[in-house]
This record gives sequence, C-alpha cells and structure tokens, in this order.
Amino acid sequence: MPIKDIAQELIVLLSISLFAAFTVNFFSPKGIALLGDWDTSKGVISAKSKENVVVHELEIENVLAAKQIYDSGSAVFVDARAEEFFDKGHIKGAVFLPVGLYDAYIDKFKAAYPLSVYIVTYCSGRECDDSHQLAQNLFAEGYTNISVFIDGHPGWQEAGYPLE
Amino acid sequence: MSSYLIKMLNNSWLELAARWFLGMIFLYASYHKIAAPAQFAKIIYGYYLFPDISINIIAIVLPFLELFSGLALILGIYPRSAALITNGMLLGFIIALSINLIRGQQFDCGCFPFGEGGHTFTVGQLLVRDIVFFVLGLQVLLFDSNRRWCLRQSGNILMKNQHLESI
Repeated sequence: MPIKDIAQELIVLLSISLFAAFTVNFFSPKGIALLGDWDTSKGVISAKSKENVVVHELEIENVLAAKQIYDSGSAVFVDARAEEFFDKGHIKGAVFLPVGLYDAYIDKFKAAYPLSVYIVTYCSGRECDDSHQLAQNLFAEGYTNISVFIDGHPGWQEAGYPLE
Repeated sequence: MSSYLIKMLNNSWLELAARWFLGMIFLYASYHKIAAPAQFAKIIYGYYLFPDISINIIAIVLPFLELFSGLALILGIYPRSAALITNGMLLGFIIALSINLIRGQQFDCGCFPFGEGGHTFTVGQLLVRDIVFFVLGLQVLLFDSNRRWCLRQSGNILMKNQHLESI
C-alpha cells in the first residue's frame, strides 16, 4: 500500500479544504463562531453566527418566573410558531405572530398593541430560536419591553399551566 | 464470478461514471451547508451525538471537505485520496444514521437541501443510499488502471499504478 503517497495527497486535499473552510467562514456574513452555545441549561442554543438573534439577557430563566409574569397580567404572550402548532395548542390568551409569516401579521399586531406594551415571546423550547427572532423583529418595530420565555409551549404544557 | 467482478472494477467507463456521480453528489451536498452554516450546525446538534465543542468546527469544515473532495473526484485530482475522504465521510454518516435509527430518534439528516424537493426520506432509505454511495466510492478506490479524463493520475488504494510511474 503506497501509504506515503496517499498521505501526501490527503494532506494536500485536507489542507486546501481546511484553509478554505476557515477563510470563508471568517469573511462570510453568515459565518459562525468556532464554539457555539449548545447547552440548553444555559438558555436557547445557537451556533453564534454573525446573524445571531439569541440574546440571553432577554431570557426568562424558568417556567415559574414566566407563570408569575402571566398571572400578573402585565404582559402580552406572543406565539412565534407556525399556524399548525398554534392551532394544536398554545398558552391561553397568547397572540399568534408567526416568525415565518411576520410581514403578513405585524400590521394587525401593531394596530392592537401600543409600543409600550410588555411582550413575552415564546416558541417550542430551548432548541428553538424563533422566539428570539421575533423579539428582534419587534425591537426593530419600536417595541422596547420584550422578554423571551425560553421553555416555550412544551415547558408550559409540562407544568400543567393553562392552554387553549 | 470474481473475474467478472474484477473486470467490472477495472472498467474505466464505470470508474468515470462512479467518480463523476459521487463528485456531483458531494458538490451538491456541500452547497446548502456552505450557504447556511448556522442552520447546518443546528442539524449536527440535532443528532445528539457530538460534544458541544466539536459542533461548530464540524459545521465549518465538513461542507468544504465535501466541496473539495467532490471537485477532486470530478476533475480527477488525486482521485483515490478524494474517494478515501468521501468514503470516510460516508462511513461517518452511516454510523451516525445507524445510531439514531437504533435510538428511534426523529431528526433532519441535513444531507441535502431541506425537504429534498418535498420528499422526506426515512432513516432506512438514507442508510441504503449512503451504502450505495460507499460502494461506488470503493470502485474509485480499487480501480487499478489508467483513469479517464483525469488531471492528476494516481494509482489505487493498494498500489501505485505501474503504468504511471513516469508521471
């Protein structure tokens, strides 16, 4: 077996691939960090790309804290998931504002809720960043007071809190 | 039977077809991963197999390994080593798919653009597909003659090509 020849060829091919991979990743607007956030115990996971929407400071750490906000009645809960999931069940009283159809629904939302309203976004848990994407979209609209309920619909359901 | 197999293995048109087919498959597979690395990283996470520190590195490097080994196969630059890389990756995919098949885990394989034209493959179908690709890779690895339309000839995996000593 011509191990030496094959090793040389492999080094050439692998070096070119590695060099191109890290160079493109560095310059690409979609590039990601070398180390992502993949620990769900610390919040919503993300690859930490240059387009990253996950801001841990906005996150409501657990279901209980979210329930307290819900019970206080001070916040509008906003569901970022697609219609098929919303229709199967959502937090009682939550407003439907799917990230995938944001443009189609935002005008109606803005007409109903003033910019000063406290918004809590959620989606399907800590492996889902739609709630963060929605929060960033709403910040861009001018809303200033937004939190992200990271345990989302599954966490709420598991805790046995009101759904509809 | 075995002589028929060797004859097939050393058919240069078959080798070319296998090499180009695999090359195009890997080129195609690399494209959407390079275009959306964050999405691909999340898919790798979704296998629940890899340590956190390795996920982003895999998402950055793997698509370019696919791209350059695919290009090398098509252009015929170090084809045996390119096939060694693609078969190494395929072996990795086969192992990862098998583990998740056994676990019964639902996940997006991330192999090709999402949804694959509206058709979703089962893990079993994906496994069969990767095994077929792997066998095609073996043809390229074991082919022992002058390769057609090849920019940089090399022997096969087992020996130097005796006809190519001068290159």
